[in-house]
Amino acid sequence: MTNTKETTMKSGYAAKRKLTNAIVYVILSVMVLIWIFPIVWLVLQSFNTLDRVSTKLFPEGFTLKHYQTLFTDPNVPYGRWMLNTFVVALFSCIISTLFVLMVSYALSRLRFKSRKKLLNAGLILGMFPGFMSMAATYSIMEIFHLDGQLLALIIVYSSGAGLGYQVAKGFFDTIPRSLDEAARIDGATSNRIFWVIILPLSKPIIVYTALTTFLGPWADYIFVSYFMKDNDQNFTIALGLYQLLDNEHISTYFTTFCAGAVLIAIPITILFIFMQRYYVSGVTGGAVKG
Amino acid sequence: MDYLDYVQMTKGQRFVYKLKSFFTGIPRAIVGFFKAIGYFIKKFFVGIGNFFKGYGSRFAKGDAGTKLSYVIMGAGSMMHGQIIKGLIFLATEIGYILFMINFGAKYISKIYTSKLVFLDSLPDATTGYYKRGTAAVGRVVANVQQTLTGTTITNKKTMDNSNEIILFFVLTVLVTVAFLAVYIANTKTAYNTQQLRAQGKKPASFGEEMKTFLDDRFHITLLTLPILLLIIFNILPILFTILMAFTNYDEEHLVPMKLYQWVGMKNFADVFYADAKKSQTFGLILIWTLIWAFFATFSNFILGIIVALMINKKDIKFKGFWRTMFVLTAAIPQFITLLVMRLLLDDKSGAINQAFGTQFPFLTDWARVTIIVVNIWIGVPYTMLISSGLLMNIPEDLYESARIDGANAVQQFTKITFPYIFFVLTPYLITTFVGNINNFNVIFFLTRGGPEDPTTYANGAGKTDLLVTWLYKLTKDQNDFRLAAVIGILVFIICAVGSLITFNMSKASKNEEEFS
Amino acid sequence: MASKSKRIAALVLTAMMATAALAGCSGGEEEEAPIPAPTTTSNSGSQSQKVDLSDPETVQFIKDTMAEEAAKNGGKIELKMWCASDDQNFEKTLIDDFKKDFEDSRYKITVKTLVKGESEAGGAVVEAPKKAADVFSFADDQLSTLLKAGAIAEVAPYYANNVKDENSADSISVSTSNSKLYAFPKTSDNGYFMYYDKRVFSDADVADMDTMIKKAADAGKNVYFNMGNAWYETGFFFTAGCTIKYENGVQTATLGTPEGLSAAKAMAHIAENEGKGFSGSPGQIGDNAYVAQGFDDGTLAAAVIGTWMGPTIKKSIGDANVGAAKLPTVLMDGEQKQLHSFGGYKLLGVNVFSEYPFSAQTLAYFLGSEANQIKRYETRGLIPTNAVAAAKDSIKDDPAFKAIEDQKAYAHPQGSSVGGVYWSSGVASIGGDLVNAKGNISDSELQTKLAAVEANMKV
Repeated sequence: MTNTKETTMKSGYAAKRKLTNAIVYVILSVMVLIWIFPIVWLVLQSFNTLDRVSTKLFPEGFTLKHYQTLFTDPNVPYGRWMLNTFVVALFSCIISTLFVLMVSYALSRLRFKSRKKLLNAGLILGMFPGFMSMAATYSIMEIFHLDGQLLALIIVYSSGAGLGYQVAKGFFDTIPRSLDEAARIDGATSNRIFWVIILPLSKPIIVYTALTTFLGPWADYIFVSYFMKDNDQNFTIALGLYQLLDNEHISTYFTTFCAGAVLIAIPITILFIFMQRYYVSGVTGGAVKG
Repeated sequence: MDYLDYVQMTKGQRFVYKLKSFFTGIPRAIVGFFKAIGYFIKKFFVGIGNFFKGYGSRFAKGDAGTKLSYVIMGAGSMMHGQIIKGLIFLATEIGYILFMINFGAKYISKIYTSKLVFLDSLPDATTGYYKRGTAAVGRVVANVQQTLTGTTITNKKTMDNSNEIILFFVLTVLVTVAFLAVYIANTKTAYNTQQLRAQGKKPASFGEEMKTFLDDRFHITLLTLPILLLIIFNILPILFTILMAFTNYDEEHLVPMKLYQWVGMKNFADVFYADAKKSQTFGLILIWTLIWAFFATFSNFILGIIVALMINKKDIKFKGFWRTMFVLTAAIPQFITLLVMRLLLDDKSGAINQAFGTQFPFLTDWARVTIIVVNIWIGVPYTMLISSGLLMNIPEDLYESARIDGANAVQQFTKITFPYIFFVLTPYLITTFVGNINNFNVIFFLTRGGPEDPTTYANGAGKTDLLVTWLYKLTKDQNDFRLAAVIGILVFIICAVGSLITFNMSKASKNEEEFS
Repeated sequence: MASKSKRIAALVLTAMMATAALAGCSGGEEEEAPIPAPTTTSNSGSQSQKVDLSDPETVQFIKDTMAEEAAKNGGKIELKMWCASDDQNFEKTLIDDFKKDFEDSRYKITVKTLVKGESEAGGAVVEAPKKAADVFSFADDQLSTLLKAGAIAEVAPYYANNVKDENSADSISVSTSNSKLYAFPKTSDNGYFMYYDKRVFSDADVADMDTMIKKAADAGKNVYFNMGNAWYETGFFFTAGCTIKYENGVQTATLGTPEGLSAAKAMAHIAENEGKGFSGSPGQIGDNAYVAQGFDDGTLAAAVIGTWMGPTIKKSIGDANVGAAKLPTVLMDGEQKQLHSFGGYKLLGVNVFSEYPFSAQTLAYFLGSEANQIKRYETRGLIPTNAVAAAKDSIKDDPAFKAIEDQKAYAHPQGSSVGGVYWSSGVASIGGDLVNAKGNISDSELQTKLAAVEANMKV
């Protein structure tokens, strides 16, 4: 008796669970369709035979010529944009990562008089988005003759790195202090502790910082658009692609824009997907271990 | 409640307790914030008092060398046996004096003249143009005439540039502050070494002192370069921007053709009350910015959790697939996805309206709703990623006991899952909220701030403009630097005060946690 | 302990001094500029001079002067030029000619051409004049912005008379302010007229808007007029007789008047047909893309636009099917009135901060000369301002040229009509809102909007 009752209960429960699962599958599928539709549209348009904006959901024909245009048309120096962005991204990545590690190690592991003051100052300064003072920053670059130069971008992207210490500091805080103390008893200096003990343990945070700072310049439009003026030799990918959509270019270069966007999105997407678990542990301050 | 009560609680009760104390802490946090400001001001003045006390007493107790360092830097160090250090101090003093004579003094004196104008000679009274325009044409004429008539013009004149004057003024002030710090350190060192010698000890040699930079003073080695760059490229522009807000630097006074002037509080007065339309525009944009930030933050947060719950549901297969599909939108640079969205949603020729033969005003009449919806599309993958991890951390016994109490799935979500994640992610939410107040990309790439509504908005602002996109347009399109500077300062104050209060709050409740 | 912060301070200080000293030096150098030449010199000698670029003596004189300029800059003449992206290839060929014509052993000329659309060049010069091009191509409406900022150089007296004599009186008047000439006219087609599909409309049909809309609707197509864009929309205000003036930096635009309301109501009458024979805005993709796409996929049968879209439209529907005409009449206050427009010019300006003022002026003059205006028409289809060039048969018979000529009586110059504040006043939203609402906006609401826009222009 009890057995049959249990089985019917179980099967009723199972049926209900099956139903909820089915509903979840349907909702997820619909959502995924909505989410990837614009991306699919972009990819399809990049193969479209038209040059202008298409008003259709699906392309009129198939061609690879826009991908060729990217590397043959002198008006679309795509390779140049890629190279510029890569150079800027690489250098800001190296400088920023070094700075972040230096600052967060000092603020997390070392104790000195003005430490608290620096922490508070950093918190407040960090709330002032760089581009709010971009007119002033531009004037400074102009005085240094850096406006229109890639170096100006590298400086802008990495000079604020000192403020990005929160995530890395949170990480260093979780490394047991007993490690330092043991090393100190053996006569190690702060410098040695940094290189020998802390750095080897910081791989996740180094990867996280390096990737975020590397990805930044690929997506920034604000600073490039204000700093580069007419110097189209130094355009980055974001500015170059954006101008393909202005009134002057869009009727002949729209599909070229799509091709350029797809081509740049591929490596960035791969990097991001690789980085996502570091990203999660970064923003939750270690509440979740990646 | 004391410690004993607390440790006797179950995990669930502890959690509820913590949550409660978080919310009851809100008023205390606000009071605490203002107390902290008061405390800070008090400390500042006490610090200044102590500084002068120490400065005076060191001089009084100092020997000849120490007293001499008050005028000739490094004298004390050298007389007490630290030759190299003393020479460095001396070089700094000489360097500073040369710097001031050749550079700094000029800008200090130019920053504020009796006529509130930054220049040696006023611009032309009738046209308002600075002489430069005619100068260049004059050179053309001169060149031609030179060949025709044999006359040569070689006179040169130095021109002023308001931007450079302010910038170099700020730089001079910063260098002076840095110099004063070195100066004080110089007197302290002199006094300290004097005392050491009095005790019969030998002051550290230069080499020994240098070694401390790898150990006791390693923080200086680490922090100098980042802070230096921060000062030149972040703090200097911020100070410059703040000063700009008190000038009339706009399209009528563009450098280097013209000079701009101090106008006192006028720009702030305009934004707050003096200019009815400007203050109305500012008020409306501020309100919309806050509404936007609220909806953008919480819509993403809630929907992100729901999506994460669905993907992480026990029997759902292909978890990696679902996750990757969502993450794709987050991975592609925003300027690409948002521009694509703009073209798809275009009222007139957007693929969506064209395909369905409709004319939905996505980017005009519905623009405010559209940007929030598109922001969901952009942002949900991030929240999904983050909360996926957190979901696994929620103690299973919470759900267990809830189920025993007969709670259904919805109740479990609202009573357990949501509050838990909300609690853990509070700092993240604050950062996101501030990030959304400053969210440039979504607005700029989708609508550029449009649609325009000239009856209610001034200075080129549109219905979907946030304070920051308005600021960008003022800077880039309208050259209205003074108004942009005022808005920049106000946005900063809003973000800083708001997030300091909330950070204080979450810190208060975290402190409670520490005794568990 | 005591000297903990002093190390940091010392490092900050030294670095700052180094940077400051560096900045100081270079800043000082740039601040030096010659004082104006004595006023007496500008009236003697050069006033009667006539420049003929085919005369070897003249060329020699120009070369000598350029050589002097080059001597001051280490034997180099390095110029930067801005023009629209479509024009790049063509203008580069002219620049090659320039280099050949003025080649000399004493100096080496390099000219860098960069993309900057005519509609934004003025703003870009004003924004960062020292970094801007020496010679730039710009739309005439921006002359006021450039003058206000003091960023454009007066045309050198050496060339001024030539420029005045060779180009049409209208093009000279828009280049002049306070009786001083500031720019070299380049093309006379910075205005708009109508392109239409001859298969849909007869020559008689294109006379009035209502007929056109009806015909287009019958064919399942649309007539395009961008009401959401102030540049086009203002034609209606001119038609209604509003005063729109920009003088001495003051913008007058009597939009909040009964005339303004008439104009808005006339737009409303047309906008009623939005989507049914009429199209009043391009959405977010912009004019050019919309027109290109509309003729290509057959949704447009006529469009009010300028010469720059001629080649694209011809490519879409075939040369033989493209007609060009002046703007149609519109129904306003119960009667058919000829629609007015902006007629404009594209000009060449010289930056006041140019390190090579004379060479820059020479290049600008060369690019705007008769021979090169003809070449520009032949290659790019852009209508000359040069009187001799414009009188050529091949140009006179061009339908686009005829349309511009026919519209001329109703075309208003931009420079003296509107300044920057006009565009940012939100005036475009009146037409834009009417299109969105398919003309369905009450008179009182229109009146409020018009008054608000007018108020926005008073800064």
